[in-house]
Amino acid sequence: MSTAYPSGLNLKLLLIGNSSVGKSSLLLRFTDDEFLSDEETAATIGVDFKVKSIELDGKKYKLSIWDTAGQERFRTLTSSYYRGAQGVILMYDVSSRQTFDELLKWFKEIDTYCGEGVVRMVVGNKVDKEFSRQVSTEEGQAFAQRMGALFVECSAKTRLHVPEAFEELVRRILATPSLWSKSATPATARREEPIRLEEESSSWVGGCGC
Amino acid sequence: MPTELPYAAEAETGLSYDELEVLRTQYYKEIEQGHVTTQSKFNYGWGLVKSQTAELQTEGVKLLQEIYSASPAHRRECTYYIAVGYYKLRNYAYARKFNDLLLSVEPENMQAQSLRQLIDQAVTRDGYIGMGIIAGTAAVAGVVLASVLRRSARK
Repeated sequence: MSTAYPSGLNLKLLLIGNSSVGKSSLLLRFTDDEFLSDEETAATIGVDFKVKSIELDGKKYKLSIWDTAGQERFRTLTSSYYRGAQGVILMYDVSSRQTFDELLKWFKEIDTYCGEGVVRMVVGNKVDKEFSRQVSTEEGQAFAQRMGALFVECSAKTRLHVPEAFEELVRRILATPSLWSKSATPATARREEPIRLEEESSSWVGGCGC
Repeated sequence: MPTELPYAAEAETGLSYDELEVLRTQYYKEIEQGHVTTQSKFNYGWGLVKSQTAELQTEGVKLLQEIYSASPAHRRECTYYIAVGYYKLRNYAYARKFNDLLLSVEPENMQAQSLRQLIDQAVTRDGYIGMGIIAGTAAVAGVVLASVLRRSARK
């Protein structure tokens, strides 16, 4: 790698995906190395936020990670947090076909609200539930490739591949200088469209998994 | 390494004027049409709570409290955002009241736990400022009293 990455770079990452796929659990595992049982977790209200510093190849990076609510009722709210993100994790649950099928809609959200060139990563969570898997690794991989996204399968519960997922995402962002070289908030929204409201909500499957 | 500081993303970040305007327009359009959906009202209330002026924040808390009373299905998020609203308005007693309401149902809710820490910190900080004002007032009173006494002693 020839590019000189500035140390201390502050990167904005976003977690999106259907309700109950484990976005907050992935974040908690990554930042605090903890995991809460089903009974202990609550669906995220609007957005939550955590900061984590990581060291990669001897350089430090500060990650601001925005954890968005997956529930439909918060879609308008969460869309205002996409701006300026350099990396987005689109998450599904390998034991839930529906959460995988609806990734396309989350990709559309990124197209609408994120800046150009934002790095996307498809993450299949809950591989610890191998016995009830509904989406194969190959299928997940192929889909991610088709969408031009990175792909990782992980388990927030067992910690498998969790740090690796974030590291790979950061590496790809660093390999895309246009995302961070201009200023502190590099990725400017492609369209100046603020918050979209009603149009699409009906096409979404109502209710949530909680 | 656990993350250091308590943080309530919703309390710290605002919306741009255009973003709030979209939510406002939608809400008033529905009022004109004679049917306001809870979602639009909630979105606008949320946007107002996140705004920077006390006047708008107060309006936001009011809208959310109306939804809180009228729609049990939205009670959870309204409770949280009402608490955030009062926190921003520096009405910490009410902020705590609503946040504790959420914590009583969801003791493990990390967003509510984080907000509770922020409220506690703010109360402590304002407490010190309050004590500072009292101490300052006492000092001034002392000086005045001393000069009065001195004057009366001279007579």
